[in-house]
Amino acid sequence: MLSPNPIAGRPSPDPSGQEDAMILFNQVDKWYGDYHALTNVCAEVKKGEVVVVCGPSGSGKSTLIRTVNRLEEIKSGQLLFDGHDIHAPMSSMALNKLRSRIGFVFQSFNLFPHLSVLENIMLSPMRVLGVRRTDAKAKAQQLLERVGLSSKAGAYPAQLSGGQQQRVAIARALAMEPPAMLFDEPTSALDPEMVGEVLSVMRSLADEGMTMMCVTHEMNFAREVADRVWFMDAGQILEEAEPETFFTSPQHPRAQRFLSDLRAH
Amino acid sequence: MFGVFDILRDNWLLLLVGQYPSGPLGGISATLILSVLGIVLAFPLSVLLALARLSPWRALRWPATVLVYVVRGVPLLMVILWVYFLVPMLIGREVSGFTTMLCTLVIYEGAYLSEVVRAGIQALPKGQIEAARALGHSHLGTMWFVVLPQALYNMLPSMLSQFISTIKETTLGYVINVQELTFAANQINNQLLTKPFQVFFILAMTYYVVCFSLTQLALWLERRIAHKRLGAKAIPLTDGEAPPAPTVAAPL
Amino acid sequence: MKDFDLLAILLKPEFGAMLLHGVWKTLQIAIGSWLLAMTIAIVLLVVRLTPSRIAGRIVAGYVSYHRNVPTLVQLMLWYFGIFSLLPDALQGWLSEHNAETILSIVALGLCQAAYFSEDMRSGLRSIPAGQAEASRALGHSYIGSMRHVMLPQAIRNAVPALVNHSVSLFKNSSLAMAIGVAELTHAVKEIESQSFRAFEAYSVATVMYLIFSLVIMAVGAALSKRYSIVGAR
Repeated sequence: MLSPNPIAGRPSPDPSGQEDAMILFNQVDKWYGDYHALTNVCAEVKKGEVVVVCGPSGSGKSTLIRTVNRLEEIKSGQLLFDGHDIHAPMSSMALNKLRSRIGFVFQSFNLFPHLSVLENIMLSPMRVLGVRRTDAKAKAQQLLERVGLSSKAGAYPAQLSGGQQQRVAIARALAMEPPAMLFDEPTSALDPEMVGEVLSVMRSLADEGMTMMCVTHEMNFAREVADRVWFMDAGQILEEAEPETFFTSPQHPRAQRFLSDLRAH
Repeated sequence: MFGVFDILRDNWLLLLVGQYPSGPLGGISATLILSVLGIVLAFPLSVLLALARLSPWRALRWPATVLVYVVRGVPLLMVILWVYFLVPMLIGREVSGFTTMLCTLVIYEGAYLSEVVRAGIQALPKGQIEAARALGHSHLGTMWFVVLPQALYNMLPSMLSQFISTIKETTLGYVINVQELTFAANQINNQLLTKPFQVFFILAMTYYVVCFSLTQLALWLERRIAHKRLGAKAIPLTDGEAPPAPTVAAPL
Repeated sequence: MKDFDLLAILLKPEFGAMLLHGVWKTLQIAIGSWLLAMTIAIVLLVVRLTPSRIAGRIVAGYVSYHRNVPTLVQLMLWYFGIFSLLPDALQGWLSEHNAETILSIVALGLCQAAYFSEDMRSGLRSIPAGQAEASRALGHSYIGSMRHVMLPQAIRNAVPALVNHSVSLFKNSSLAMAIGVAELTHAVKEIESQSFRAFEAYSVATVMYLIFSLVIMAVGAALSKRYSIVGAR
């Protein structure tokens, strides 16, 4: 079913590993008009894996991660999440149900400003999953403690710093108890001193075995937490490797240029 | 509905220029002249009012604020009644309906337009004023050379919207027998008596065509200004279907 | 100038009665048309949000007509024009039941509905795109997103414009005078022509209109504050 891995020398993933695939891209293509945004993407994120997607801006990394919960459509190919074909024709109810199982954290947090922190976390379990208010509240308080913000339960998003808002956003996504979490440049909109608090929450999630796909520029995070790194440019995954391998000896010339540009900073 | 074209054919002159030359200029010509004069004369008043409301001197700020609030809070008809009563008293002789209406529009639009100007001034980045003051300009100099030129240019679409409002406000001249378009239409109706719907349909459509065209012009202006001010990345302020309603839209 | 003698107007029983009747008529028209306008505005908004292109065009046409044709002319079209096209039985019934007032409410309500619906639509459009995405990403349905995330914010955003247009609506009630409704402005005009005390008569009406306008604006400010988004700058 999977085409042979385009990277010369690497064996194709063995078929038995497919049952462990949480997210599976199979020859995914996407166009914006004439612009070929995603080109023949074949890749998978196994259960319990942490995959970091990096690359220069405009490479299609955000587009790629947004196709997983169908915030972006694809033109051809297949995308499976936990065995379900996300882009198959389906009723909106079915899509909503699927989405509720995919945790997504946005670059701009997108907390609901008219609700308190606690209400932000409680809303979707109650209204989408039908969880009872008391249970939702208890879970929310638990998650707030988890991300280190119990004292802010009654505060409103506009009263929090960026780092705090993003941690609440992570708690909000976790409240739905998703089997996997997607992070779309979670720290890119934060002031440098707040990046650490968000990354440490993400790290603790990874340590607990959460399946994660992160688009990020934070290379240290990638080095220390990721199981694999995907390098993307111009809509294609050009290189897939373990972090240590990728950062010390990248194979693809564009990856080499990307990393040396980063270091030149 | 079939009477529409007959009515137009028989009465187009009346609708266009009223009873001129055997009477004062009327019809849509009067409407447009009244509107243009009204907004042109209201403009300097509005700038003065806006500056007064933003001035650091309380003696200027309070009366200006009170005037604007009172005019905003009272129907246009009331202002017409006041002007109709006060102006002859102040200048000692009778004034025509046209003059009364003109004065009313100047005061009414002056107040509303001053809000538009005020919004335009306040929307300017503070850095502009800071830079001017840092260079040594006085408060008034800053306003005249730096703030107003930019603010007024930016607010052109909103001011055009107010002009459209003024055209709609001229219809109230009917109540004091000003010979504008609505008055002309009522004259026709009083003669014909049998086709009121057709007559008023023509009236409504005439205003619609005029105001709609001006609205499109305002939209085009807004896109053009946004483009000029923000460069190629300009995002129009509205959805491309209606210009920014003036901050204190006076729907009439 | 004659001495300012307010009581000459207020104490004379027939003037007092005219004033009271005028205020009552003004309130009738203002409240009636406000309720009608709000209802129709919500309907227009819902229609506009459907994916149908034709529905969007129809609503846009409705709004365009009511914003470009002067309100007085709309009123005349209803009272002189459309009234004459109604079936005789309906005309008769209306004539016996305050046709002027009813038609004023209809005309003003339909006109203001256009403005209200645009205010609500702007309120909706001013919500950052990320809000809709976040709520869909969490699995909320379209209706759920609207109910819990979009509309609460849209209404908060729209309140200032809605308040402004509500004041306009109130002031527009005076237009009913042109078709013979004995509302407040008409009342003081009558009082003036009978007592020649223009200053006093007009002042009473002016103060009353100002009070009403300020009350509406104060209610709006209170609502704005109560439901404001905490902490937003």
